[in-house]
Amino acid sequence: MTATQELRTTPRGPGLRARARGSRLVIIAVALLVGLVVLLVASDRDADIVPLSTWNTRASGTHAVTEILRDHGVAVRQVDRLAQARIEDPAATTLVVAEPSRLSSAQLASLDAYPGDVVVLGRVRAVLPSLGMDVRQTTRLAGGAVDAGCADPDARAAGEVAFSGAALETSDPDVALCFVDAGAAAMARAEVHGRTVTVLTASEPLTNAQLDRYGHAALAVRVLGAHPDVVWYVADGLDSSLLTASGVGGDDAPTDVETVPDFLPPGTGSAFYALALAVLVAAFWKARRFGALIAEPLPVVVRASEATRGRARLYRRARSTGRSAASLRAAAALRMGRRIGVARGESREALVAAVAHASGRPARDVDRLLYGPAPADEAALLSLISELDALESEVHRP
Amino acid sequence: MHITGWTVALAALGAVPAALTQSRGVAVAWAVGVLALALLDVWLAPSTSTVGVRRDVPTSVRLTRSTVATVTLANLGRRRVRGAVRDAWQPSAGAGRTRHPFSLARGDSIVVRTDLAPTRRGDRHAGPVTIRTEGPLRLAGRQRSLDVPARLRVLPEFASRRHLPSRLRRLREIDGRTAVQLKGAGAEFDSLRDYVIGDDVRSIDWRGTARRGEVVVRTYRPERDRRVVVALDCARLSAARVGDGPRLDASIEASLLLAALASRAGDRVQATAFDRSEQARAASSGPAFMTELADALATVEASLLEPDWPALVRLIESRVSQRSLVVLLTTVETSALDSGLIEAVAALQHRHQVLVGSVEDPELGVMLTDRGDSEALYGAGAAARAMLEREAVATRLRQLGAEVVLALPDDLAPAVCDRYLALKAAGRL
Repeated sequence: MTATQELRTTPRGPGLRARARGSRLVIIAVALLVGLVVLLVASDRDADIVPLSTWNTRASGTHAVTEILRDHGVAVRQVDRLAQARIEDPAATTLVVAEPSRLSSAQLASLDAYPGDVVVLGRVRAVLPSLGMDVRQTTRLAGGAVDAGCADPDARAAGEVAFSGAALETSDPDVALCFVDAGAAAMARAEVHGRTVTVLTASEPLTNAQLDRYGHAALAVRVLGAHPDVVWYVADGLDSSLLTASGVGGDDAPTDVETVPDFLPPGTGSAFYALALAVLVAAFWKARRFGALIAEPLPVVVRASEATRGRARLYRRARSTGRSAASLRAAAALRMGRRIGVARGESREALVAAVAHASGRPARDVDRLLYGPAPADEAALLSLISELDALESEVHRP
Repeated sequence: MHITGWTVALAALGAVPAALTQSRGVAVAWAVGVLALALLDVWLAPSTSTVGVRRDVPTSVRLTRSTVATVTLANLGRRRVRGAVRDAWQPSAGAGRTRHPFSLARGDSIVVRTDLAPTRRGDRHAGPVTIRTEGPLRLAGRQRSLDVPARLRVLPEFASRRHLPSRLRRLREIDGRTAVQLKGAGAEFDSLRDYVIGDDVRSIDWRGTARRGEVVVRTYRPERDRRVVVALDCARLSAARVGDGPRLDASIEASLLLAALASRAGDRVQATAFDRSEQARAASSGPAFMTELADALATVEASLLEPDWPALVRLIESRVSQRSLVVLLTTVETSALDSGLIEAVAALQHRHQVLVGSVEDPELGVMLTDRGDSEALYGAGAAARAMLEREAVATRLRQLGAEVVLALPDDLAPAVCDRYLALKAAGRL
């Protein structure tokens, strides 16, 4: 290698790392900022406004009763999907299902097979027979404060409860109806398949708005706090997954069931996930530039005719036909005079006579065209210009 | 560092195990694994400092021609280096393929060529040379940029040189050196010779006839060794665009053709470009002048300043002591009344012959004859007005004794040369 001395090389040592060390503070600051953003995004749940949800702090929510239960040592866990329940010990768990009328028949079947205690909140319509209770929702409406009116210790402890809306009725003697007002009950309780199913069709007593009235709080704590664990589920009609608990569908708790359209083979979602990651890698591949962009100093570009075009627009805006005509006449006279040899400074008569002679037109005609009155409008300007063009084409060197 | 397309392909391949196991965890693990492999490859890749770089660029090229810049790469390390190099250039340098892959064994070197077809006059600068080395897995590698300054001077196109042969023929006719039976027209007395039938009787030298007893005639030849000063105005008005390029480009063409013609005619030419001060100058004598002129004018750019005409007059007076032909390549416009062009021409015309060359805008000619709609009529009026104003200024200049050439961009160079030849034939230099 003879030319080695002339060769240049990149400076030795770490490139990216050296630069990174120089700006360590910047990197730390960026990392902190990213962490903060992630924290804020993660912690910023949209305010829950679902009725009977334990996260809902509005009047329709059940946040207050959840807090009371937690104070009493009961762990309350709300799940978005029934499959996320994953109840390990049904004997020590109360499963709370709100809005049961939105459950599908398959979900009701999985609830029926569940061995632990169940509390049903809200309108029941015709779902209770599926849970083994011969209880119907009546069309009669009840209202006002009502006594327990039954032997159930929880109901008796609560004393008076106020409720309104749809109520329950039954013909089954095994079902205990409480808070009965004119034959319509607010609460039904029965032993089914060896577990207790409690139905509170009027859910208002448990809401944040009504919890402190009458014996509502006592009723809630006694009914919901019977076991150390509470799994809370608000049915929304969109979730189609089934209840997961040990004892349901055998001893093994089934895993989360994927809701993928069944016309795609299984694993498609995962494959697309992997491809999405590959797209991120491709973005990094393409984003890394092969050296810097080279700037081009660009010259100023102004068309030389800009000024004349601007003047034309001024003429047009002012409808200045006279000025345009005067310029065109003078220019035509200049060109014709040059062609037939009349100097620029010659008199009007001399030019008119020469042009008339060269074109064979009457002198009066030429005089009118070159020195006549200014045209009044655009139509007159147009005809003047075409006449000037015609005259100019007729002028030949004599 | 950088990654290659193989890394992306490998990452995409992760879709297969993810689909088979139906697990997103596998997909994430695969992607992380691929990135780890890529990082390992970066670590294993040879350092960019093992590649030595030298750039070789031709000093100048004429616009519309193409040339080749080369980069020499040498492997100074102990291992084989595989990778790519980017020979970056400004966009207007018109570089073709700038990325060149290479594979160098130990101690080996290679020359990569980048074709350059510049699209603009002036100095075109090269960007840094960027080196990428690949790791053994070809998944990723290292990348560094290295500043290797280089410059390619793009000379003016000189498209008007196609007019040169016809003008030289005319020059020879004036000179009397052609085969055509023409009297050597010119102003400078050359010699006496015997009268031949057909000679103009007006050129008979009666005193010589009386002395010799035979009829003799005087012959003339064009003046030689006259001074020609070409001054290019590169101020505000020269920046405006006419046709495809700024007015300045037409002025440069004209000065190149005139300089070529005048130096063949035996005159001494010097050129200057100025706005408020001198921007470029070419004043050497002999055959090197044309090269110097093209080189000097290559980098002249029009500035957005008002020209300082009195300063130009002082400059020219300080440069030439004899009577010369001063060619001002500028713009004849109504603003010349205020800028001092007329006073400058008057001052120069005292001792010299002034020729003012001005580029006309072809668009004004189009506007002048356009009769399309009412807007075009007003446009024609405005264009006629501009033409009258220009003619008025040109008339003022002619009254001062200066020659005025108004021509379209492509016609300016031959028109100026024709006027020069006419002045030479008339002996007015």
